[in-house]
Amino acid sequence: MHKIWVVIRREFLERVRTKWFVIGTVLGPVFMFGVIALPILMAERGARARAVVVVDATADGFGRRLVAILDQTETVRPALEVVPPERLEGTADSLAGEVGRETIDGFLLVTAATVNEGRGEYRGSNVTSPADMRILQTALRNAVFAERLRREGVEPSVVGRAQIPVELVTSNVRHGRVTGESGEASFLLAYVMWFLLYIAILLYGVQVMGSVVEEKTSRIVEVLVSSLRPFHLLTGKILGVGAVGLLQLGIWVGFGKFMLDRRADVAKLLGQDTETAMALSRMSFPEVPFATIATFLAYFLLGYFLYAALFASVAAMVNSESEARQAQTPVVMLLVIPTVLMIGILNDPGGSMALALSLIPFTSPIAMPVRWAAAPVPLPELAASLAILVATVLAVMWVAGRIYRVGILMYGKKPGLKELARWVRG
Amino acid sequence: MPEAGVVELHGVTKRFAGHTAVNDLSLTIPRGAIYGLLGPNGAGKSTTIRMIMSILLPDTGRIALFGGRQSGKDLSHRIGYLPEERGLYKKMRVVDLLVFLAEIKGVARGVARRSAHEWLGRLGLSDWEHKRADDLSKGMQQKVQFIATVLHRPELLILDEPFSGLDPVNAQVMKDTVVELARAGTTILFSTHIMEQAEKLCDAVCIIARGTKVVDGRLAEVKRRHGGSHVVVAVERREGGADRVLGDRRLVARADDYGGYAELELAAGADPQDVLQGLLRAGARVTRFEIAEATLHKIFIDMVGPDAAAARAEEDTAHA
Repeated sequence: MHKIWVVIRREFLERVRTKWFVIGTVLGPVFMFGVIALPILMAERGARARAVVVVDATADGFGRRLVAILDQTETVRPALEVVPPERLEGTADSLAGEVGRETIDGFLLVTAATVNEGRGEYRGSNVTSPADMRILQTALRNAVFAERLRREGVEPSVVGRAQIPVELVTSNVRHGRVTGESGEASFLLAYVMWFLLYIAILLYGVQVMGSVVEEKTSRIVEVLVSSLRPFHLLTGKILGVGAVGLLQLGIWVGFGKFMLDRRADVAKLLGQDTETAMALSRMSFPEVPFATIATFLAYFLLGYFLYAALFASVAAMVNSESEARQAQTPVVMLLVIPTVLMIGILNDPGGSMALALSLIPFTSPIAMPVRWAAAPVPLPELAASLAILVATVLAVMWVAGRIYRVGILMYGKKPGLKELARWVRG
Repeated sequence: MPEAGVVELHGVTKRFAGHTAVNDLSLTIPRGAIYGLLGPNGAGKSTTIRMIMSILLPDTGRIALFGGRQSGKDLSHRIGYLPEERGLYKKMRVVDLLVFLAEIKGVARGVARRSAHEWLGRLGLSDWEHKRADDLSKGMQQKVQFIATVLHRPELLILDEPFSGLDPVNAQVMKDTVVELARAGTTILFSTHIMEQAEKLCDAVCIIARGTKVVDGRLAEVKRRHGGSHVVVAVERREGGADRVLGDRRLVARADDYGGYAELELAAGADPQDVLQGLLRAGARVTRFEIAEATLHKIFIDMVGPDAAAARAEEDTAHA
């Protein structure tokens, strides 16, 4: 055991002392600072009102009433242009030119069909902004709704009183208790979990691979295995790099929390006025419960062990850094699967795909925490997922140990599957 | 019953896909000896050594270390091993690296640090203690590797081609250190394909070729057994009996007479002492009588054959 400890300490100290570690540890928070600061800066940019021309071909003043509604939103600066229906396309063409010259952001075409069939058309340079489109759509829907009621003979003042803005406040219910965390907060948490898990497992797994390749290419490995059992060397290496990972994650998460707690000061630092800063500090961020942190850590560690062992096996089979980069592809692909399917997991966290991905050991380290953050997970499913994962980690470590034992002393041709099987059996 | 050797191999065989690397090899390394494992490249020296270190396991046969049943891995704290393929962690500081390599042999940190410092001084590397390993020249790196091998005061030192790649000055330093350790009681096994080195250093040797043992034993014994004794003799007053003795085909197979002295190749089974006695009885005055043994080089070439000689010539060219 003492020897494993010596290996762990060397891996840890030699890594923490490198420039790479310092740069990575500093850049992480810079990145996180960006993640927090960017929405604030974006909000500022978003505050610029969009210049939108309403082209009215209805001839009954619908356009004027739509403009009145748009005027009430802060984000749209509407203008009205009334045209006869036959000149609609011509006007649209010249307005498209205006958009090209960036004098306006876009134009909304309303015709008789808008009120009759509920169809309007917007052409502009900001169509990819979901927020802008949502505002336009809401305004148009309200205008059409009021117009149709008016046609049915309802008093405009009654219509006005009937229309009030409705806000939907979401709260996540877990295990029969309301948590006070909003749907958006849950989504954010799931997203952050995915990001940290994916980056961390990949980052540190690849480092284990690099470490094995280094020992192989520098030919120190034969000295090492004359003093250590290869399995001890492998275990010590994985634990040592893992400890570096935990330290780095700890620094990052701690810094992130610090920034969140002081977000008002951060906002001021970014040149926001006091009011915005106050509003920001009142904004609720999710309280992350202990169970979530424990789940995250458990899956991070197990996922890291699993992938580190796979990366180590890859490294043991190859002769150089460049060969390793090629050979690692299948392992990285395994890790990418839950990422590709993450939206599916979030859309239906209790669905069969989410369940399958959170049970399969190669995807569960990422899929299960994401699911956990999004929705309650029945305890038996969590237990089953963990049990399968632990069993797989042990099995993969054992196989990796065998491959490692033979592979680290092999130079030359990469082994085929058949030869690999012989290494594992031998 | 002879004393149990520090290393004993009994009928060890190792096959790899397609060929037999070591074939039914038996040898005994006596305590305190400097033992040379000799053979051309590819003879199976490194494979044999790796099996002794239990990095590889023999297919058949038995290896005993220190007369016990434990394997090289369990006894690694008593063994110092310098592999042929040796390297260092390039980015580590020399002293940290040495301490690490000693610690995985079970040496306490403080002790390891002290003796690393001591050894670096002894081999003239004091100024490099806190430098990174890849700042060192190749020769210095080899010295560091050697220090890593001896830092934990092993009873048995296994050196695979320890002198390859060293310049003459460093080779001399290394050789002196090895001899010193041997005097202090360390048993040393080293492999080489350079016979002159083995001839100077070894008490006992084992020559292998193509995985099979050709000859082994104490160096003097091997030389004696190789027979074909050569005698260099210089005689005054040769007239009379002396020429008759030198011409006796039962004693002398061939004589090269250089005038001042003659080189004799003795007949099979002839004893040099009979030649000397014969000369003295014949009234000759012997001024020089030297039994010249065959060199290890000659034995090696005789026994391992022209293939090996060709391989060796190649090696020498490579080293020159």
